[in-house]
Amino acid sequence: MGNTDRKLAAHLARRAGFGATQDELDFYESFNYKDLVNHFLDSHSVNHVSDDLIYRRHPNIHAQLTHNPMYWAYRMLTTNSPMQEKIALFWHGIFATAEPKINNFGAINNQINMFRDKGLSKFDEILIELSKDPAMIVWLDNQTNHKNEINENYGREILELFSMGVGNYTEQDVKECARAFTGWTIGNSEYMALMGAKDSIWPYGRIFWHFEYDEKDHDNGVKTFLGETGRFNGEDVIRIICKQEATAQFVARHLYNYFVADEVPVPQWGHVPPKDPSAIDYLVEAYRQSEYSIRETLRVLFNSEFFKQARFTRVKSPAEFIINTLRCTGDYQVIDGSDNTVYQIMEDSGFMGQKLTNPPSVEGWHTGEEWITSGSLVDRVNFVTKYITDENNPGVGNMIARVADRITDKTTPDQFLEICISVLGELDLSDETYDALMTVVEHTLSVEGSFTSSTASLVTKVFQIVSSSKEFQLC
Amino acid sequence: MRYVKSIGLNSNQQIGRGFNHPYDIAFSNNERIYVLNRMYPQSTDGIRVQICDLEDEWYGEFGHGPGDTNDQFMVPVCIDFNSEERLFITDESHHQIKIFDRDGNFLEAWGKGTSKLKDLNSPSGICFDSTGNVLVAQQFNGNVIKVSAEGKALLQFGESGTTQGKLNLPWGICVDDQDNVYVADWRNDRIQKFDREGGFLGTFGESGRGEGQLSRPSSVAVARDGRVIVADWGNERVQIFDKGGRFESILQGQATLSKWALEWLDVNKDELNARQTSDLEIKNLPAHLNTPYHRASQTEHIFWGPVSVKIDDRQRLYVTEHSRHRIQIYELD
Repeated sequence: MGNTDRKLAAHLARRAGFGATQDELDFYESFNYKDLVNHFLDSHSVNHVSDDLIYRRHPNIHAQLTHNPMYWAYRMLTTNSPMQEKIALFWHGIFATAEPKINNFGAINNQINMFRDKGLSKFDEILIELSKDPAMIVWLDNQTNHKNEINENYGREILELFSMGVGNYTEQDVKECARAFTGWTIGNSEYMALMGAKDSIWPYGRIFWHFEYDEKDHDNGVKTFLGETGRFNGEDVIRIICKQEATAQFVARHLYNYFVADEVPVPQWGHVPPKDPSAIDYLVEAYRQSEYSIRETLRVLFNSEFFKQARFTRVKSPAEFIINTLRCTGDYQVIDGSDNTVYQIMEDSGFMGQKLTNPPSVEGWHTGEEWITSGSLVDRVNFVTKYITDENNPGVGNMIARVADRITDKTTPDQFLEICISVLGELDLSDETYDALMTVVEHTLSVEGSFTSSTASLVTKVFQIVSSSKEFQLC
Repeated sequence: MRYVKSIGLNSNQQIGRGFNHPYDIAFSNNERIYVLNRMYPQSTDGIRVQICDLEDEWYGEFGHGPGDTNDQFMVPVCIDFNSEERLFITDESHHQIKIFDRDGNFLEAWGKGTSKLKDLNSPSGICFDSTGNVLVAQQFNGNVIKVSAEGKALLQFGESGTTQGKLNLPWGICVDDQDNVYVADWRNDRIQKFDREGGFLGTFGESGRGEGQLSRPSSVAVARDGRVIVADWGNERVQIFDKGGRFESILQGQATLSKWALEWLDVNKDELNARQTSDLEIKNLPAHLNTPYHRASQTEHIFWGPVSVKIDDRQRLYVTEHSRHRIQIYELD
């Protein structure tokens, strides 16, 4: 029999997913906590709105002719395995690849699919897949990294941004790393890169890319890399990278930053110590013990006390904020070929600071409080208010019904607020927010005499105030 | 089956020559081809019908969208001429059939908000029987309606479901020379055959990627000799069945550069030169990309999004590909 505390289940759902509806929390409560963590991490029967329905209604998504994160949005909105999408978002933020340079949206989409499929596997396997990923190859110019003329761009970034961080390797290591990845290119690289550079859709639309290993263009000479010497190829370099202490620290701190609590932006990690060094050490040990498994490291993380205590210590990214809201309100579960709102919503994510598949640089997005500006906060509040106050949205209707079921003529303002806050996602509110809500609720009670006569309008008013609060920006 | 040529060129413009997600075609008596373009969300103004012919001449266009006025579309799906040269276009979002003359002048609309077929629901495939009646597949109702040339409902058959005679999001539709009706039963991965009164006659195809198996068939056409041509959309191919529904062969596509494509490359020599030194015949793909969709997305000459199959009166097969923005043409043996 399960016994997971509802608030803890909601916390896990916010981190390993995009929050939970009341129906989902009912289901999660039936697990014991450890099994609930396994449920998120080991989900085998992934279900989401199927590709055929998306493609029939939106042939442009099938062809990937233009920038279009609608497909990813539909997956995030409808999946029963949100961890798969969450880990894709996690790696997208670190292995940041942007469309405007490569202009091949199918290649980007395939990269995101790779993150879905491989994102929880071992870090060395992930880095190998990343190094073979056509979008990454063109993004960091590895198709121009030749045996007789290296381009060190990928060799540098895999060390600096994708694994160890500045200060943990030498310039010579960068060059040797680049040599190891010579010959790792894409098929028809000259033509494909030219089409990408010119954003050419002619004559017959996009041609997606595929990895090609050109043995003749690979430098098979002896290399000395991070203290080891041999005729290293890319896989060998990755094997050496993954056993470095700096890599373990890098992975652990990224996982902590994304799943436990906001750290300072990544560029400051070289001189600002981790928020919780013992937690990082704990994750480093899990990473090593599991032979670099992200899934097993996350299993340890989600079962840790520091995770359980770290509620509402992260600022939701714009994509998390939007998907969390829309899964809560139950919108866009059915594909409509005439409705491009989901496209516009993902543009809204861009206005809030996170345009998926178009990170600002190879460093990805700066997270935490940097998500919030005066402009982005207004965008967030306007967005959530539009959806959370619409009683016609199925999720909102369901939440109102939940509140109505739990109140009587004798329900006090405190009880009413507790119910609303619980239904909206088991939130923790500050005293300031709580007091503001109490003023509204008490006024309504004084006018109406009870909460049962105009429940819907009062509940949506409470939802509007809560969703406009600072606390609602956190997860 | 002999490959003849390809027509088309991708275009991201809202006017002018070039296709953007072409979805279906129709033939007029003066041997012109009417191509229905869906466009994409950021550029829906370009939803339109373009007119060209087999010799690559381009004659113009009409019917810009999106919108609710008479000559506008929202989500157009299928297109066909009747024997009176009236051009019928279904719109699944408007729940309407819009009718134009062959010059693109709007004549009338049937369906939601009109005086005829007010209950029309999400129409997709459309065709005409030998007496001039109109047959329309209704996706969400899972049925087919027969309508007189004047727009009066005559008959309805089929219902949503998965058992024989029931339909799941039907798409394309056609008739043979006996006025038997063939429906691309899209989400049931099969073709279903009904007689002219809607009586169930048979079914063929099943889910899968093998010979004779189908994945989300979107269109069906019957040749003069009775062979049934199916746009096996989800498998990115066309399949040919005999008149009894037995598998005959697969058409994977073998497009060449169209006249319009050659003209475009002629003024973009850098791409032409890079193209000529490339090997666009993809031989091996990694396991996770070895699916019909990914093979088609990386191999320019094979079908990608073969959404419509139509046969002209000279028994030439036209395969419209929404993701390659072209039409491949074959001569039926």
